[in-house]
Amino acid sequence: MPRVAGVDIPNDKPAWISLRYIYGVGPKIAREICKRLEIADSVRAKDLTEDQLSQIAGLLTGEYVIEGQLRRQVQQSITRLRDISCYRGLRHRRGLPVRGQRTKTNARTRKGPRKTVAGKKSVKEMR
Amino acid sequence: MTRSTKKGPFVHEKLFRKVMKAKDAGDRSPIKTWARACTVVPEFIGHTFAVHNGKMFHNVFVTEDMVGHKLGEFSPTRMFRGHTGGKK
Repeated sequence: MPRVAGVDIPNDKPAWISLRYIYGVGPKIAREICKRLEIADSVRAKDLTEDQLSQIAGLLTGEYVIEGQLRRQVQQSITRLRDISCYRGLRHRRGLPVRGQRTKTNARTRKGPRKTVAGKKSVKEMR
Repeated sequence: MTRSTKKGPFVHEKLFRKVMKAKDAGDRSPIKTWARACTVVPEFIGHTFAVHNGKMFHNVFVTEDMVGHKLGEFSPTRMFRGHTGGKK
């Protein structure tokens, strides 16, 4: 299996798909890279030549922010929001949705598993 | 939908003039304002604003990081005190 950008080992999917296994590379960037290096859609990741691999790595490190660096960037933005105690920062601190979604129901991704409150009337009883 | 860049950031004119005046006078006391929609511009750095949240004024000391945000973002309008019951 080829190694690109450090630890990432995409498998034997087409090259432009397996590149997306790198954090920070999605459909757009993967296509962009393949187009610029003239890698056909039919080429599998395992069939990439050493030359192509190093070219990909060069592009990724040179022009894009990926992996650890990107994760750090995201963390820093969140920390900044927290520190200035703006509305978005407060929502991050409380672990609630940041972009104005409803919290009466749903929002489970941010809030985590349900914490059932004993004695709270169920929907059925209220009717 | 973000604001058109052609227009530039929304800055409350009157508030801006007030800030400049306070700056010239070296006045550091909080400026009371209801202009929550006003964008924080670099000229505001180092000033304190008392931003209305519908009930009271929140003192907001503007730092460099706050530039680009709106004043209202720093003055929460809702208060959550926890649910009824809680601990028995």
